[in-house]
Amino acid sequence: MTIVTGKTEARRRLQPGKSGVLRKIWEHRADYAYVLPAIAVMLVVIAYPIYYTIELSFFNTPPGLQLRDKTFVGFNNYTAILTSAVFWKVTWNTLIWTVGSTGISFVLGFAAALALHRDFFGRGVLRAILIIPWVISAVAASYIWKWIYHSDFGIIGAVLVGLGLADRPPNFIDSVSTVLPSLIVVNIWREFPFAMIMMMAGLQTVPDQLLRAAKVDGANAWQRFWHVTFPHLRNVSTVTILLLAVANFNSFIIPWIMTGGGPSNASHIWITHIYELAFGRQRWGVASAYSVLLFIILMTFGYFYVRALSGNDRKDGSA
Amino acid sequence: MSTIAETAARGQARRRLRFDGWRWGGRIFLVFMLLYTALPMVWMLLTSIKSGFAAMQFPPQWWPDQPTLASYQKLLDPQNSVGQDFLRFFWNSLFVSTATTVLSVIVAVPAAYAFSRFTFPGRNFLFFTVLLRNMFPAVIFLVPLFILMRAIGLVNTHGSLVLTYLTFGLPLAIWLLKGFYDNIPVQLEQAARIDGATRFQAFILIVMPLSTPGIIATAIYSFIGAWNEYIYAYTFLSKNEQLTLPVGIQRFFSENTTDFPGLMAASFIMSVPVVVLFLVLQRYFVRALTEGAVKH
Repeated sequence: MTIVTGKTEARRRLQPGKSGVLRKIWEHRADYAYVLPAIAVMLVVIAYPIYYTIELSFFNTPPGLQLRDKTFVGFNNYTAILTSAVFWKVTWNTLIWTVGSTGISFVLGFAAALALHRDFFGRGVLRAILIIPWVISAVAASYIWKWIYHSDFGIIGAVLVGLGLADRPPNFIDSVSTVLPSLIVVNIWREFPFAMIMMMAGLQTVPDQLLRAAKVDGANAWQRFWHVTFPHLRNVSTVTILLLAVANFNSFIIPWIMTGGGPSNASHIWITHIYELAFGRQRWGVASAYSVLLFIILMTFGYFYVRALSGNDRKDGSA
Repeated sequence: MSTIAETAARGQARRRLRFDGWRWGGRIFLVFMLLYTALPMVWMLLTSIKSGFAAMQFPPQWWPDQPTLASYQKLLDPQNSVGQDFLRFFWNSLFVSTATTVLSVIVAVPAAYAFSRFTFPGRNFLFFTVLLRNMFPAVIFLVPLFILMRAIGLVNTHGSLVLTYLTFGLPLAIWLLKGFYDNIPVQLEQAARIDGATRFQAFILIVMPLSTPGIIATAIYSFIGAWNEYIYAYTFLSKNEQLTLPVGIQRFFSENTTDFPGLMAASFIMSVPVVVLFLVLQRYFVRALTEGAVKH
């Protein structure tokens, strides 16, 4: 990690005592040139929007984007959100969506990675097929599944009727009770391959000698997995779960295209709700306040994310 | 002697038996996952070669009675208006994704190299700032970015999309590439520099070739991300002739709500480039994740 070129080391030794952040920055001025383009793009597209969102969350805005007419309302937008029934409904949906999608995607992906770890005929082809849903656009996936769930001509409904499990095709995405689980199935379809790739990569780092040694010592398959394989994968698992959780918390396309948040908000999650507030009802102030609340939640995620990643680095540095 | 051999054999048999249990469990699970993954795609393909009438039947025609490529012909025919639109969307997507990919690589390579090799004040802070971008959903940035793009006159141009997509791809790109550079021994560069190469030459001649898989992975990731992006394209573009595929397909569907074969054909055509690209280059991608994301 910490690689100091001989040159800078020497320079530092020549001028002892004169340590100051500014001097250090000046010494490394050339290094910044490498990261400048990345940072510049990030600043424009991230820092400015964050600032603007926070500002807007304290204002009441007229419809349309005539933002000169906004009026300062203090924390009104926040109290309006936290006292509304929709907020709690949407938060509950988001929780189910995020935890359900992340948990099941991870378990399926991990299991698939384990099953694919051993070499067998057709393994490469199978792996490639399993990864395809992750590459397909979420818009295309939404339409494919919308057609599969179709209440009149959907294939799942037809199969259920054909097997005698239902009298008529069920309404998967037009019914309040089934819509969210149905969408989660679609989301998992797209997300488990990511967990699978990550865990496959992780499995390759488990030393074979340890597994063989455990086998010699009489450990059965489950014990070998639990005491040797799994501890090695703890870091990868953490990163994978966090990335999945963030991606799911932030998903938009699948609920938006498949149901638009309906019926009666049953499939609205935070992001679709914010989008509808902003671009549907043009309540920019409230939408911004929602976004700020979202920031706060995400920063909590972010804290663990950075910790998991830098934990990785620290181990790397000492090795 | 014989008893020992017998017990050993029995033990081995038992072990193999239990072993097979796991193996069979794995196989059954893989078959289940294969069905879950592949059936929706198969159904998409089967629907896309039906006529509109054949698709709307209950019980459905599992296999189309009269397979037809009419939907594909309609979408890919530059003579009729649907085909014209669709081909234009296709080219727009291709242009935006390619531009994004090229720029991502140009910006990410030096940044990742610097994060890996140099120690400058604020390095960790900047690195995590870049990574944190991944945390935030597109929707949060939508309103302010829309206003920003309007202010700098980029609304309704592909430039607005390239600029925003760049920032999606960058965090993971930088992270993956940094992992690659971390694994390339500094001594290689030092040797080159002792032989008289400048830092830049050492970078171009030694580090770049070694990190090619990482760069390819980065490029695939950027391309797929840009190709599939929907929200910004949906918000920033309003002129029909500039739409990218995901938005174009949505518009197509809202105008022809019952043309499911057409919709499935469009979804299929839209998926082909990224799926092919990924399948051809996937080993680089998996390798980049192994070396970049998963540290040994």
